[in-house]
Amino acid sequence: MMKETSKSTRAALMGYLVSAPSLLLIMLIVVFPIAYTGYISLTNMNTYHWFEFDVIGFENYMRAIAVFDSGFLSALLGTVLWTIVNMVLQLFIAFVIACLLNVSRLPLRNVYKTILMFPWAMPGYVSILLWKTGMFNSEFGLLTRWMRDMTGITVRWLSTDAGAFLTCTLVNLWLALPFMIMIMDGGMKSIDKSYYESAYLDGADALRRAVSITVPCLKPVIAPSVLITVFTTFKQFDVVYLMTLRVGAQTGSHFHTIITYAYENAFITNNYGYSSAISIMIFALLIAFSFVTNAKRKGEAA
Amino acid sequence: MKKKKMAKRILSSALINAFFIACCFLALLPILYALSVSLDAQGGLLSSSFSFIPKEFTLSHYRSVLVDEPVLTWLLNTALLTLSTVVLSMACSVPAAYVFSRKRFSGRRAILKILLLLYSFPSVLSMFAIYRLMSSLSLINTHIGLIVIYAGTMSVFALLNMKGYFDAIPIEIEEAGRIDGCSDRMLVTKIVMPLSKPTLIVTGVMIVNFVWNEYIFSVNFLTGENRMTLAAGLYSLQATETSGSWPVFAAASILVSMPVLVIFFLCQKNMVSGLTSGGVKG
Repeated sequence: MMKETSKSTRAALMGYLVSAPSLLLIMLIVVFPIAYTGYISLTNMNTYHWFEFDVIGFENYMRAIAVFDSGFLSALLGTVLWTIVNMVLQLFIAFVIACLLNVSRLPLRNVYKTILMFPWAMPGYVSILLWKTGMFNSEFGLLTRWMRDMTGITVRWLSTDAGAFLTCTLVNLWLALPFMIMIMDGGMKSIDKSYYESAYLDGADALRRAVSITVPCLKPVIAPSVLITVFTTFKQFDVVYLMTLRVGAQTGSHFHTIITYAYENAFITNNYGYSSAISIMIFALLIAFSFVTNAKRKGEAA
Repeated sequence: MKKKKMAKRILSSALINAFFIACCFLALLPILYALSVSLDAQGGLLSSSFSFIPKEFTLSHYRSVLVDEPVLTWLLNTALLTLSTVVLSMACSVPAAYVFSRKRFSGRRAILKILLLLYSFPSVLSMFAIYRLMSSLSLINTHIGLIVIYAGTMSVFALLNMKGYFDAIPIEIEEAGRIDGCSDRMLVTKIVMPLSKPTLIVTGVMIVNFVWNEYIFSVNFLTGENRMTLAAGLYSLQATETSGSWPVFAAASILVSMPVLVIFFLCQKNMVSGLTSGGVKG
């Protein structure tokens, strides 16, 4: 008995000791900054109050939620809209492409697949900057020039909210589709071929087979990846930031996801307290989301 | 009748192939355009009719990237940062992941739950707090500061991912080794590490990928051309609405992307299996 406890204490001690460096590092770089952000969110820290700031309670939170034109609520609404539009388009297009990739008699299948993976393989920020400058620049962007040649109108893609929203959606689709196509393609490989054969014999056409066999069989296989993609889309920062928000080169659009909104308030307009309050609320939202989805998944599994 | 069916089949396969050629064109459009602009003496700026084949072939944009801009310094900085981050975060999180998978101690479950929550936290949101922390440690504008930040950020992922993989290695193998007289050290070096090579590689590649592509921390935390990373340097090179350094930027983009593309297509197969068999699935 005695020996047993001392053995388990030793195991525990070793557990703490061996994991200490990693946990300390995480404490320092991840946990402490979050707690510190929580503290800053209760103060009026900004450029003028860098050292002598005061604790002002929940004023920043009130400002974000209760003041309607503070920008936070519209950013939140924009983010929700952004997530829905992106996910719907992404799932639909990826589904069509993956279905067609699995058509029999497609000798170049692997060539197409490899080429379609390119947007995923490129470093993300490089691709986004190439889109911004190469495609959408209002002087010499390729799409701008094509538009000008066809219609005579010079489009400033990123200067309006709606324009920026659509442009960012296009770029985000370009970046995110390869992963989704790959997941769906992999899922389709796991569907039993005999389903299709018997449906074919029963006279179901291609559309019918896709809707009644592929979709329901695919759903459980791709659900985790889709969930992860919903989170990444909701948390999207790079696309919107690099397309519209670079310091000294704002494009005139006010389209924000909540994360770029928090960033703008911290590093461009220097409202540190306010920005921290936004950050904490986003974190709370993300935690709430993951609890809801976890509970739902467990409910489905049971 | 048969002929009609044949014709229909040919038509549909032609349509599908046309569809995929269009898709591939779209997928490569910005890359091809950047490539052609970077190889064209006029930078593709003057001609209004556009073709992807450069009119006046030149490598001068590449030369000016390599000679006029401190790209080699940036490359060296990035390589140094990447290597140190991988070493630091692996050295910390491999043992931790192993202990979290194999040993039972109080607080273990709670810590794992908290780590899962932290994993969903985007580090940009606490960047300002990290900035103040680093400036009070006077680590702003140093590479050590960035290494610590990157290693800490990636440790959460590394720990969870590798712990999941270790969980899948049957403990019986280790028990058998112990019965055969393995010491703790031998157990780890001779049995556990060789078995977990795939996850070590994938986790390492993910960290390399993260550091190589990270720009927002390095842009905000480093000043001075000599300290910059490739990502920060490229960011500073980008053409604005009016300036015309776009061909140079295009050349730099192509150069920076090359190694990443090569690595990606080399380990494409391993990446997929290594990520899906790993631990971060909730």
